[in-house]
Formats: sequence, C-alpha cells, structure tokens
Amino acid sequence: MEIGKRLKLAREAIGYTLKRACQESGIGDSSLSEIENGKREPKFSQLSRLAEVYKRTVDFFLTDKLPAEPIMLWRDGPGNIEDMKKTEADFRRLCQQYHKLELCTAETRKAIFPQPDVTNPEQFSWLQAESFAGIVHNNLCLGDIPSASLKKILEERYYVKIFYLEFAGNAISTVSDEFGPAILLNSRNVPWRRNYDLAHELFHLLTWSIFRVESKEPSESEEKLANSFASKLLMPEKPLQQRLAVLANEKGEVQLEQLDDLAREFSVSLDAMVYRIATLFKIKKETTEQHLVVAKQLSGLHKPRESDKVEPLPERYRDLAIRALREGRLSLIQFAKYMGISYKKAQEYLAEDEGFTDEKISIPVA
Amino acid sequence: MKRFQFLLLDAGPIIKLFELGIWDKFIEKCDVTISRTIAEEEVVFASKEDEKEWIDLSPYENLIKIVDVSPSKIAAFHSRFATQLSRIEIHPGELEILAFFCESSEPWQVCTSDGPVFQFLGMMGKSEQGISLEELLQKIGLSKQKLERWYTREFREQHTRKGRTDSIQGRGLQ
Repeated sequence: MEIGKRLKLAREAIGYTLKRACQESGIGDSSLSEIENGKREPKFSQLSRLAEVYKRTVDFFLTDKLPAEPIMLWRDGPGNIEDMKKTEADFRRLCQQYHKLELCTAETRKAIFPQPDVTNPEQFSWLQAESFAGIVHNNLCLGDIPSASLKKILEERYYVKIFYLEFAGNAISTVSDEFGPAILLNSRNVPWRRNYDLAHELFHLLTWSIFRVESKEPSESEEKLANSFASKLLMPEKPLQQRLAVLANEKGEVQLEQLDDLAREFSVSLDAMVYRIATLFKIKKETTEQHLVVAKQLSGLHKPRESDKVEPLPERYRDLAIRALREGRLSLIQFAKYMGISYKKAQEYLAEDEGFTDEKISIPVA
Repeated sequence: MKRFQFLLLDAGPIIKLFELGIWDKFIEKCDVTISRTIAEEEVVFASKEDEKEWIDLSPYENLIKIVDVSPSKIAAFHSRFATQLSRIEIHPGELEILAFFCESSEPWQVCTSDGPVFQFLGMMGKSEQGISLEELLQKIGLSKQKLERWYTREFREQHTRKGRTDSIQGRGLQ
C-alpha cells in the first residue's frame, strides 16, 4: 500500500479531520492532502511527526503488509466517537510498545489459558459461566481473595498486557495477532470497580474465540455471562460462605454494614457483594432490589484513598524497558517516550548503571 | 581544513555538545551531517524541558549539512534489515541515519550514544565506522572533562562487540 493511503487510514482511524491533523503536526493543509493523495512523497521527518500525531510506529508506514487492526471490545464506552478512537489509539500504541520491548529482550511468551467446555455462543449458559469461573479460579491459583492476586497473575504468568489510563468509559479488552491479549482499565475508577472490570474483561479474553467469530460487539447476554463469571471469580463460594458464617448472628443474618466490610475485604463493590449473596442464597429479586437501594447510599460514603492510585504502566513493561535500555537494545529517546518521561530523566536510568554488566549468569535449578 | 568530512551525528552527542557549550567550536572543526528527523524532531524532543526551551538547529543550517532520506528508501532499508531491526528499537532519526549510511559509499563515521546503533554497526561488520563522542573530542582536541559512560569508547566497544557476537551466533546478519 502506498504511504499516502496508509497515512489517510491512520488519520481516519484516530478520528482526525485533515484540518486537525495539520494543526497537530504543523504540516500545511494542501501539503498533507497532496501527500495523502499520492501526489507527492512526504519527507521522512514529516512521516515521523505524523506517526507521533496518529499514535503509530513509523514501521506502520514502511512495511509492505498492513497489520490487521485488532477488535477493541468496550465496556461502557463513550458516546463520542472521537474520544473512543483516541483512547483506542493510545491503548494500541502502549500494547505495541510493550510487544516491542518483549521482542528486544527476547521475552515473547505465550501462555495457554483455561478454555471453556463450549464452542457455540448460544450454548453458553449462566451456569456454565459460573462453573468456568471456578475452573479459572483453580487454574490461576487465586486463593481466598482473588482480587489481591488476579492482576499480577494475569500479567506475570499469562502475559496479559494491562494498562491504566484516564478515559471516558470503563474498560477495553482485545486479543491481537500482533501483541496478544490486553486490557485497558480506567485509572479514575475506584479499585473495586477496576477489579470487577478486570474480571469481566477476562471473561471476554478467555471466550474470544467463541464470541468474536461472528460479532465484534458483545450482546446483552454475553455481558451478563461476563458479569456472572466476574462475580463468581472474585467472590468464590467457599471462602465467602466461611466469612459469612463468622459474621452471621443467631438468626443467620448479616447486617449491610458488615457486608460493606466484607466487600472491602474481597475488594469488590457492596452492590456486587449484595448481588453475589442474592445468587448464592437465592434471595428474591424484590428483596435484593431493596437491599441495593440502601447499599448505594452506603457506597456513596466511600471516598477513594491516596493508596488507590495506580501506575499507568505495568511493572513488567517498565522492567523490560529498563532491561532493553541496559542491554543496548533500546535507544535513550525511545526509552523516554516509552516510559513517558523526559530525556534528562531517562539519562538517570543509564547513570545508575555504572557497573552494569550484561554478561548472562545461569543458576542450575535441576 | 576541517576534520571528519564524513561525520554523521546522532541526537545524544548534539545535546551533549550544547550542554558542554562547545557546539560552535565543534562545528568549526568538523563537517557535520545530521538527518532532518534528528534535527527537527529528536533533538527538539530530547532537549525540551517543560515546553520552554529547546535546541533549535535552524540557525546552523548553513554551517552543517542536513540530509533527507525519502520514505521509500527507508522502507527499502527497513525491509532489507527487518530481522535485525526487529530486535532493537531505535528512534526514527536513527533509522534515517542508518538508511543514509547504508546507501552511501563514502567512509562515514557515525557518532552516537545509543547502544542499538553501535550494535547494528557491529552486526553489519562496520564496527570501525562507529565513534563515541569521547573519541571524537579527543581527536579534535576539544576533550575537557570525563563524560558519562554512554559517550565513551568503552561503551561503543561493548555494544559493537555485542552486535558482532549476535551476527556470529546467527541473531544478526546472516
């Protein structure tokens, strides 16, 4: 494909008009139009600038084969298409950078996820979603409080790329041929919301080959299945019942305030806890709805804490970037861009490395 | 007559020369060639602090040579060395320098402070065409103080050697 056509494709993918692209890049209106129409070739410096504006790598414009654009599955996406495209572009760029770091450090690894015992989306029932959550819980060794370790296990053992950004919407998941499975979570959300979104998006990743064959958008029933899965995964039956038995009074009842504490322990919202208990003890819908009204009032009293803030870049991403820099696989300017820091700050990482040797040391373990 | 008539400078050494306050003296002594992407994009990005000031090379356009390499030539270079480039991550300005370097038959010397560029030269069997800022300043009599590790001969040798090893072990050029 010609560079002009690819530039137009990249501009449209981020939702920019020609005018906006010119404003952002400092390239003249007529020049960019001529470049896109193949009437003139851009300078490489212009191409590099446009790649920055469109949040693409320059490789995107240089390779013969156009890489397939990954499907981005939104959870409560914004109505504004521009916001949506920009967030997708930010997320895709971070995932591509992460993948490049894996390539530079020869750390490209693929993990095999547990698979559901269903191949047809229509056969996927609510009960199967719950039972699948149990299988995933065991396979991932999530323990009594799954939210405490879920993110780390997904990142470190299953190589899922998980990022936090501020954006309009709650989450995005994707499975790309290029960079593998990835999830974007909203850093503005409270931790229990992010945990639930993570578990919900995990369902989409695990069932990608079942549900994404025919449909790019999740149906309402798929979303409900993902919610059931997330609920069961984050609040496993046995440890939850054990905790409830401790808290219950002589009549076998637990106060809503106590459930609020329990929700915090499992790092889920009080709403999610009330729903989970309703399912577990088959409580009537009307009664559950009454409980939820009070639960919402109680939840409104919780304010995010300073410790709830998250790092936008995954720990593994940062470690790979530092390693690639140390091993001389990553230039300093790229390191600064990948880490979102200044060039001066990036130099400090090299300065700390005075006695570094990249000689490989192996330790026998068998 | 100036020394180093075929000298390609990367962004890192340019910024360091400005920081040391010897850029003007340096370009009096050397014929400097820079790629447009380095001059207009990378040096600006790397020297920018808080959006206030950055190194502007446009007043020097008559004193140094700024080269453009067409995207189609860079695409051809990228395709030719796809395997090698997939294992390193250089900035677009370095991609432009290396495409220019590989296309030219002149005896260019590449001065950089980035490991992947030296490694690439090592992989291509062109180790002797890489030079560190420390060595360069010594040769033109401008060496002043101890420079950071990434501007030294030792750093260049370490990464060039690594590129050569990769090449021999089949991870580089084949």
